[in-house]
Amino acid sequence: MVVLVSVSLAVITLDYRQGQSGPLAGFGRTARAAMAPLQEAVTTVTRPIGSFFSGLAHLPSLAEENQRLKDELAAANAQSETTAFVQQQYRDLLALVGLRESLDPTSVPAVVIANGVSNFEWTVTIDKGSADGIAPNMPVVAGTALSPLLVGIVVETTEHSADVQLMLDRDWSAAAKLGTSGEAGEVQGQGDADLRMSLVTPGTEIAGNEAVFTLAYQASGRPGLYPAGLLIGQVSRTVPYDNSIEEFVDVRPAVDFATLQFVLVLQTRAGEVAP
Amino acid sequence: MLRRVLTVAAVIITALLLQSTIFAQIKLLGVRPELLYLVTIVIAILEGPQEGAVVGFAGGMMQDFLLNQPKGITALTLTLLGYAVGMARQYIVSPSPLLPTFLVAAGTAAGIAFYEVVSFLLGQLDQPLSYSVKVIVLTALYNAVLTPIFYPLLRRLFEGSRPQRVVRF
Repeated sequence: MVVLVSVSLAVITLDYRQGQSGPLAGFGRTARAAMAPLQEAVTTVTRPIGSFFSGLAHLPSLAEENQRLKDELAAANAQSETTAFVQQQYRDLLALVGLRESLDPTSVPAVVIANGVSNFEWTVTIDKGSADGIAPNMPVVAGTALSPLLVGIVVETTEHSADVQLMLDRDWSAAAKLGTSGEAGEVQGQGDADLRMSLVTPGTEIAGNEAVFTLAYQASGRPGLYPAGLLIGQVSRTVPYDNSIEEFVDVRPAVDFATLQFVLVLQTRAGEVAP
Repeated sequence: MLRRVLTVAAVIITALLLQSTIFAQIKLLGVRPELLYLVTIVIAILEGPQEGAVVGFAGGMMQDFLLNQPKGITALTLTLLGYAVGMARQYIVSPSPLLPTFLVAAGTAAGIAFYEVVSFLLGQLDQPLSYSVKVIVLTALYNAVLTPIFYPLLRRLFEGSRPQRVVRF
């Protein structure tokens, strides 16, 4: 008992001093690499069962949701016609002034094979790792490469798997911009609650459901890790707070993390994203 | 002895797999169970403080290596928890079939609270107090609900892997 407690304390101290570069972090990577195939196998078997029970739980709201989705699809179809026209104009303008997109990262598709094991960390494990060109600090998105929704960022890799810190995690933050008003701020994870955007100029008129996008600025002292324009979510409410320096808004993530299955890892390099 | 070690390893790995896959989807008000706490407490009840501490240490260390937090905090927590529950069990004389469920609930709550305090002291816990309390209460409740399912399974497993005593005349 005394020996085990002593070893635990020694491990805490060693890991605290060595961080991600010590031998203990190496053991961690080995453990993750060993667990990843097992987690993938279990998830492959149990995901349909989980989806079935999840579907049963949501059965009463499915008909209503179906109608709502049909309405949204009709609206989206109408909007896509307009969007295609605007996109063509945009491309023509870029070609006209001899510009090209400063960031067009390649992406690696991956499957979510497991979640984190702790109630104090919001992470998922994906089935692609360093052997597939994935490295820490690469942004992870859902949706498509043309309309990406931000999921989080790669924090740890093994050869064939990687851990992704979700933007729900309390250690996650990114510079962001309100879509309509154009106000910039910083978005931080709040666990299972909505994200919190701070540093918004007081008095800014913020529309309900206003979209929030990433900016490539640095946030919380970390370099800009995200390309500009990734959709983070929509404003869910303005937080009443008596502060003349900054205003806070809550942001509901665009990604449904409960059903997250496929993601794209953008192969950017830290500090080289363009604003 | 080897069979015993393999049984413990299999139980720990299965608990971690279940926690990171199935139980990550089946949450109780946003909180998942802590299966290694449950396993450690049940083994401490069945086998005593020494085995509880060893299994807690092994399971906790394994879980720590899967986290992006300083290693060793879960190992320390579960070692102390396994030993404490095993010791407490020796002094509790109750025929109640609900005793394991009660011990799992109380042990989980105490263990999670200890983990949070140590993480906070190391500057690794950045949660509001309300969330910390919610996790303590709901994981204790969730683990208690799971105890009637896992306790008989673990008892059968560990009784089967117990070294046979050979009496020579």
